[in-house]
Formats: sequence, C-alpha cells, structure tokens
Amino acid sequence: MLRVKSPQDLGAAIVFIVIGLAGLYAGKDLSFGTASHMGPGFFPTWINFLILAIGVGVGLKALAIEGPRIEPFQLRPILFIVAAIVIFGLLINGVGMALSAIVMTIFAAYARRGVRVTETILLAAGLAVFSVIVFVYVLGQAVPAWWGR
Amino acid sequence: MEINLFHNLAIGFGAAASFSNIGFALIGCLVGTLIGVLPGIGPVATIAMLLPITFGLGPLASLIMLAGIFYGAQYGGSTTSILVNMPGEVSSIVTCIDGHQMARQGRAGAALAIAALGSFFAGCFATVFVAAFGPPLAAVAQQFNSPDYFSLMVLGLVTAVVLAHGSVIKAVGMVLVGLLFGLVGTDVNSGTTRYTLGISDLWDGIDFLPLVIGMFGIVEIINNLEQPTLPRSAASTRFRELWPSKNDFKESWRAVLRGTGLGSILGILPGGGAVLASFASYTLEKKVAKDPSRFGKGAIEGVAGPEAANNAAAQTSFIPLLTLGLPSNAVMALMMGAMIIQGIQPGAAVMNTRPDLFWGLVASMWIGNGMLLVINLPLIGIWVRLLALPYRLLYPAILLFCVIGVYATNPNVTQLMLTALFAVFGYILMKFGCEPAPLILGFILGPLMEENLRRALILSRGDPMVFIQRPISAILLAITAVIIALIVLPQIRRTREKAFQE
Repeated sequence: MLRVKSPQDLGAAIVFIVIGLAGLYAGKDLSFGTASHMGPGFFPTWINFLILAIGVGVGLKALAIEGPRIEPFQLRPILFIVAAIVIFGLLINGVGMALSAIVMTIFAAYARRGVRVTETILLAAGLAVFSVIVFVYVLGQAVPAWWGR
Repeated sequence: MEINLFHNLAIGFGAAASFSNIGFALIGCLVGTLIGVLPGIGPVATIAMLLPITFGLGPLASLIMLAGIFYGAQYGGSTTSILVNMPGEVSSIVTCIDGHQMARQGRAGAALAIAALGSFFAGCFATVFVAAFGPPLAAVAQQFNSPDYFSLMVLGLVTAVVLAHGSVIKAVGMVLVGLLFGLVGTDVNSGTTRYTLGISDLWDGIDFLPLVIGMFGIVEIINNLEQPTLPRSAASTRFRELWPSKNDFKESWRAVLRGTGLGSILGILPGGGAVLASFASYTLEKKVAKDPSRFGKGAIEGVAGPEAANNAAAQTSFIPLLTLGLPSNAVMALMMGAMIIQGIQPGAAVMNTRPDLFWGLVASMWIGNGMLLVINLPLIGIWVRLLALPYRLLYPAILLFCVIGVYATNPNVTQLMLTALFAVFGYILMKFGCEPAPLILGFILGPLMEENLRRALILSRGDPMVFIQRPISAILLAITAVIIALIVLPQIRRTREKAFQE
C-alpha cells in the first residue's frame, strides 16, 4: 500500500515534474542539433530531463522517507500582497507614483487582519510623499510623480 | 610578491578612496543597515531591494556601494538578532543564541560593540587575504579552457548545494530550474527565442530583479505575515553601556582570531560563505571553552567568534567570484548579476583588464568595514528605535520599495507582473521546503554553462570524453564525484536501514 510519508517532498516532486514536462513541451520545436553543433534545444532538453528525473526521485523519496508536513497555505497574505503588486503595475503608467503608492499601501495593509483604517491612510500618504521625494526627485528615477509626467 | 601585494592594494585604495567613492561606501553601509536591521529581512533580500539604486552609478562606484550595502545588511542582521532574537538569515541564528541572552542581561551594548569590533578585525584580515590569494588563483584560472570552466561550474553548483542547509536532492532540482530560467530569451547562437511564451518582453531573458525580489523579498514578507505573532519590537532591551568591559575583551579576542581564520578559509569554498563559517565557529568556541555550559546563557565568545567568522567569510567568498567568475552563494550571485548589468563579466580577466576595479573593490571592503565601525556603531540608538516600529507599519513600506525598485530599473509593467508571478512561485516552493538560493545560482550560471558546454563540444567535435581527457577538468569532475559520493552513500544506507526496520 502506497502511503505519502513526506507531503512536502511530494509537493516539490509535482512542481519539478510539471516544470520538466512543461519545459519539454514548450521547447519541442527547438532544434536539438548534434553534440558538436548544439542547437538551441540541446542544453534545455538535457536540463528538462534532469529536472524530470529529480522530480521522480523526490517523489519516490516522499513515499519512502518520513518528512515534515506542509504548513497550511494562508490565502489572505499572499492574495493581498500579490494584488498590491499587480495593481501598482496597472496604475503606475497612468496615474503616477503618488496615487499608485497610496493604493498599493492600502492593499498591502489588508494582508493582515485587524486593519486600523486611519493609521493605514496616514501611512499610505506618508509613504507616497516619501517615495515621490526620494525616488522621483532625489534619485531621479524615471517614474512619473503625478499622472502622466 | 610582498611588494606586489602592497602595490596592488595601493592601486585599490587610490581608486576606492576618492571622496565620492567613500561617500558611496558610507551611503551603502547606512541604507544597508537601515534595511538589514528590519526584522525578518536577510542580506539577500536587502541587497536585492537596494540593487536598483546602484545602477545609475559607474561600475566601481556601484560595486563599492553594493559592498557597503552587503556589510551594512550583515551588521544590521546581527543587530536584530541580538536585540529582538529575530534572525533575518541562517547565519545570524548563531548570533541570536548568546547575543540575545546578553541583551536580556542588559549587555546588548557590549554584544553589539564586540560584534562590530570582531567583524572589523576579521574584515581587515580578510582584505589582505583576498589581496594575497586572488592573483595566484586568477593565474590558475587563466589556464582554464571551456571544458574546465564547465566542470568548474558543475563542481561549484554541486558543492554549493551540498554545503547549503536543507534537502540536497531538492536543492539540485532548484539549481536545474534556475538553469532553465536562465536560458529563457533569445539564444545567442541561433537567434531563436526560447521559452518566451510569445511575450516580447522576455526576448532579452528573464530580468534578474523580478526574480530575486519576488522569490526573496516578497516571499519573506508573506512568510512573516503568516507567522502567528508578527516580529516583536525591541522594547525590552536596556542599554547600560555601549562599551564592552576589559573582561569582555579578554574573553573574546581569542575567539575573534579563531573565527577570522576559520571564516577566511571556509569563505572560499563554493556554497560555504557566512552560514557555514558562523556555525563552525560557534561549535569550535564551545569545544575549546573551559566551561562550555556558559554557552547559550550569554557567553561573549559565542557572539565574537561567529560574528568575526561570518564577516571574514563574507569577504573571502568574493575570491571565487572575482577570480573564477563563480558565485559561491546567493549574495555573490547578486553581486555577479550587478556586475553583468554594469557590463563586466566577472572572472580572471577583470584583474588584468580593469585592475582599478578589482583592487578598488578589495580596498572598498576594508573601507566598508571601517564605515561600519565609525559610523554605524554610534548610530545604534537610531537602529534600535527603528526596530521598535511595529511590523504592520514596516512591511507595506518594504513592499513599496521593492516594487518601485523593480519598476524604476526597467519601467515596464511586465516586470511587475513577473515579480508577482515569482512571488507566488517562491511561496509555493517555500511550502514544499525548497530553498530559493540554489535557483538563483543556477539562473546566473545557466547561459555561461551552456556557452562553455557548446565551446567544449565544438573543440572536441562532439566527443564528451573531452571533460575527462583534459587534466584540469578531470580533476574538478573527480572532486565533484567524491563530494556526491560522500553525500549520497550515507543517505542510501540510512534509507535502507529505515526501510528494513519497517
């Protein structure tokens, strides 16, 4: 009877196998060439097969050796943090540094429970002012401060 | 040789000690400490976040500033370990053990000062060490041909994986995934685009920053947010006095000497670096101590030795990077990434083509260490106050700076989407117990390995035996095989024993 002894290893094995297979599939049109004339597909194909092999190896290990359990996935932090980054990316070109920073900070703050609204708004405003001064004016980064430019 | 060494160091100080370069070292140290002191942020994440601010500078200035950031980040990490018992990275775990106990006894000042002084001494020694051992190693490296370089990278990656903590087989997998990621983009030889998924922004390859910021910076923030108790503030620490007593010096100077020696040697090993050095030094101090039971209860040698060791190792780990072009840990991979962005391919050639750059960087290591001592130590009060800020206010700021850093370096929305993607990827891998550091090493080395493999096989007309026929390459591969055997054999035996027991 097969029993998973190390859930962490099984997860890692799946990730490796998926990457290896995806790599082989996405690279299937790359010409392999010969050893003396390596095509663009030569090295990646080898790497992908090795990744697959490692994936299978880790998978077997997961069935053979006891290992730690997987810490539960908590959706709130990752969802809000990733959303904050994506929204910053969608806004920055259109509305500039100040407003994007404010919106991003507010999203980021909601990554944890018990948000204090006033504090968060003050923090967002403070960070917006700080980043406009430091990044746009002092360091002269190529980011618009307000709307277009 | 002797004269050469000082002549070379003179070139270095001539290049590095200009008014503006010292300024950059100073700023680097300050911002490095500023970010590094924040709980839960290690040197890799700190450097990744601060990389963008150095891009506008010239090559030497930017390297000097980065070195400053690196030392600042390490020192900041020690400060956090001692004051709040929150190690930002593996190498500071050791400092936490006795350092935090000292802080609870009201001796935080002494612990911090000894850490800084020990690090400074180690830094001085390691600077000379790098200057002495760099040129001979570079001379050896000049004999290297493509097959040798390929074998060297295999050896480097294997040792890095073996010496790092955590599962070896998963680390190998991560290296391979890193190699694959490194190949994304246009193949230089055929002009074919690979793995770009039709996204034109990927034609030049995956950018370094979204990868490291996503997998290190952002994942660390998410990880901290998932902990049931957010990192605590340093409220409970009291400062009786900053300066260590005479007795403290008496107890720690030998530990500093031993740590420096140990760290300098371990730092050269691929994958060694600061982590291995600080653990080894702590174990050594405990072994040689007259009364080992004091350790874990605030023994000052337990702070002095490891801190000296990790600083010495941090410095000597530049040797393989600067002479062989081989980054031995994630921090060095970041340094290499920064050099490549500046248009410098690290390796033996740098020493001849740009001696000012090589020796300037060596000299700046010493300057950076000095900065830590004269600027940072007196500022300790400010860092403590910063630590008292609650994490709920800190992490949005950290996140914002990460994101601005990525965008400012390459003002392209795709970069931010990639950052988010790598954050999710790194998060999943973290849950499955996969360390991101080996992936970064593979990512940096991917294109180089492919190129050297290609050249080696062209030279040999496709015969893979070339890797065994060339003596240098054969020796490197033999060492690799021995290391793999040492690791794999006991594991197999253990597995079989376990299997039989059931």
